[in-house]
Amino acid sequence: MADFIKNPVVDLPDPDPAPHFSEEELVFTANEKAEIARRIAQYPTSDGAVMWTLWLAQDKFGFLPPEVLRLVAQELERPYAQVYGVATFYTQYYKEKKGTHVLDVCTCFSCQFCGGYDILDYLERKLGIKRGQTTPCERFTLQEVECLGACGSAPMLQVSNGPYAHNLTPEKIDVLLATLENGEPLPFVSLTLPQDEDQMQGNRRSDAEAVEAYQVPPVAKLTS
Amino acid sequence: MTKAGDWQSYQRVLLPPVRNLHHLDAYRAQGGYDILRTIFNDWKPEDVTQCVKKSGLRGRGGAGFPTGLKWSFMPPANPAVPRFLCCNADESEPGTFKDRQLMEFNPHLIFEGILIACFAMSMKACYLYVRGEFSSWITLLERELACAYDANLVGTGMLGTNVNMDIILHKGAGAYICGEETSLMESLEGKRAYPRIKPPFPAQQGIWGYPTTINNVETLACVPLILDRGADWFAGVGAQTHPGPILYGISGHVNRPGVYEYPTGMLITDLLEIAGSMRGGKKLKALVPGGASVPVLRADMIEGVTMDVESLRAAGSMMGTAGMLFLDEDTDMVAFLRRVARFYHHESCGQCTPCREGTGWMENLITRIDDGEGNLRDLDLLLDLCDQMEGRTVCALADAAAWPVRNTIKRFRNDFEKRCRPAVWAGVA
Ligand SMILES: Cc1cc2nc3c(=O)[nH]c(=O)nc-3n(C[C@H](O)[C@H](O)[C@H](O)COP(=O)(O)O)c2cc1C
Ligand code: SF4
Ligand code: FES
Repeated sequence: MADFIKNPVVDLPDPDPAPHFSEEELVFTANEKAEIARRIAQYPTSDGAVMWTLWLAQDKFGFLPPEVLRLVAQELERPYAQVYGVATFYTQYYKEKKGTHVLDVCTCFSCQFCGGYDILDYLERKLGIKRGQTTPCERFTLQEVECLGACGSAPMLQVSNGPYAHNLTPEKIDVLLATLENGEPLPFVSLTLPQDEDQMQGNRRSDAEAVEAYQVPPVAKLTS
Repeated sequence: MTKAGDWQSYQRVLLPPVRNLHHLDAYRAQGGYDILRTIFNDWKPEDVTQCVKKSGLRGRGGAGFPTGLKWSFMPPANPAVPRFLCCNADESEPGTFKDRQLMEFNPHLIFEGILIACFAMSMKACYLYVRGEFSSWITLLERELACAYDANLVGTGMLGTNVNMDIILHKGAGAYICGEETSLMESLEGKRAYPRIKPPFPAQQGIWGYPTTINNVETLACVPLILDRGADWFAGVGAQTHPGPILYGISGHVNRPGVYEYPTGMLITDLLEIAGSMRGGKKLKALVPGGASVPVLRADMIEGVTMDVESLRAAGSMMGTAGMLFLDEDTDMVAFLRRVARFYHHESCGQCTPCREGTGWMENLITRIDDGEGNLRDLDLLLDLCDQMEGRTVCALADAAAWPVRNTIKRFRNDFEKRCRPAVWAGVA
């Protein structure tokens, strides 16, 4: 056997890891099956529903170990290799177990220069972990991510692939962490546009869960 | 008078100041979906495409390709062969955040644009590809789309005619590359989002091999406005060669960042003033005018430059997505470029060697310089690397990585040289 096969340069994933879920757990309910069927019907073939079904599986199981991917592949009658390939291509699909709340801090260039790394640093110290890690209590996972499309309200972060938190300051983070620790849901925040602030005296939406008035962003100190 | 004309009294049309415009009732009260009905009853599909062509609308997704022309690439309609529209709401270009605001505040304008485009190109379905991070906005779109279906504006027998059209939401899962049109198609087909080699172009063989057109959210949102107010009105807004209303996403070291709607062809200096000038009274050092992929401009290069394809090209940059990042005099350009390189390294799909390896080496080299351990020759090595990457890959991500690297080094060479070790080893000299 060639040397590089015996001693691979990168760690290869365990081909047969111990499953996290039992046979009884690994089923989709009738409702979930109906939802998957509805998605499949929207595409020429069931391939189109792979991404939606992975989202559904991740919402249900929390993450996507091989046995869950097999379940998805079975349900869609697609090859396991395809579903595995898709799950490992996209960053938002969790291949490992994460904390209850995943904090995705944007440090891409707009956020970088408006204090994204300060926010990340603050969270690292406050949670006592490094980026990419999960707290021992499994409550929080901290991650550094690329631009989340909210550069005007930098620095910002996303919680568990869901709501965004904008214009962050250490004080705002303290409140955010306390809210999450109390098990309260984070609201969807509708940001006021600068021109709406001038022309409409505030946010144009009356149905948003929460509204953030237009504000001159907090100036954070610069790091690289 | 600038190309943008009398922009001080500009009335917003993409995001007009109307409360709760994202609700169907409010949208219809403003005359929303009226033009769709008129078109269905009185227009021929070719005339719609012709009107969009005449308006001079250019794509707002980054490449700035003329939209009417793109539509006319679709082969003649054949009832036996399905064809699709894809609305690109992947919006992952760093510095770009306009599509998200449009989806939140005026989703029906997008839907109406999609339906008109489907009519023009005889399509029955549109996939609206939204990046996975925007899950809150997907929920919102789902709700408003359901309202449109209930009101018989979309679906079977829409508007009392015998036409059927569907708008289908697709949720991405966090990959910048999915914004590239062929990658988006692979992603829709439930595969790893590896871009495809062109030709065949999407109009010939798109999703599942069927003719497909891909347009950005903002591009499609302009369409109902063009049909409603006329191609001449649109062509008369802003810069002649790149007309129309546009959303400028302004971020960075300015006092009032955010999304602003103005005509194209605005002076960059005017936009900076609109955005409240630089924070803390600092001086401008650099500007990225259209998302991370476009070449950065030095402060002394923006005098008299307007936001349109022509003027920015002459200045040595590109329009991109009009997501403008202003950086002040304290900005460390090495750190800036290191982060940009990291982004491309992370987001390269890995298909092509020049891109997969090149972006990695870029990041390594710039990191070394940033850490104070770089050599002067690393700068030339980086420039050489850019030459090796550009134009040699399946998609434009490698070019998009090379442009900012080359131009940042060229335009801020001093900043980089200062961080490198001296050319001659002190012990020898
Ligand atoms: C690497 C890469 C990323 C892209 N990302 C996006 C994107 O996030 N959103 C977008 O609308 N277009 C993006 N584009 C441009 C699309 O490929 C395509 O040109 C555009 O969606 C066409 O729409 P338009 O003609 O309306 O601009 C990207 C292109 C490349 C090469
Ligand atoms: S250029 Fe880069 S991102 Fe594009 S196909 Fe090649 S490897 Fe993938
Ligand atoms: S750079 Fe952080 S949201 Fe765009």
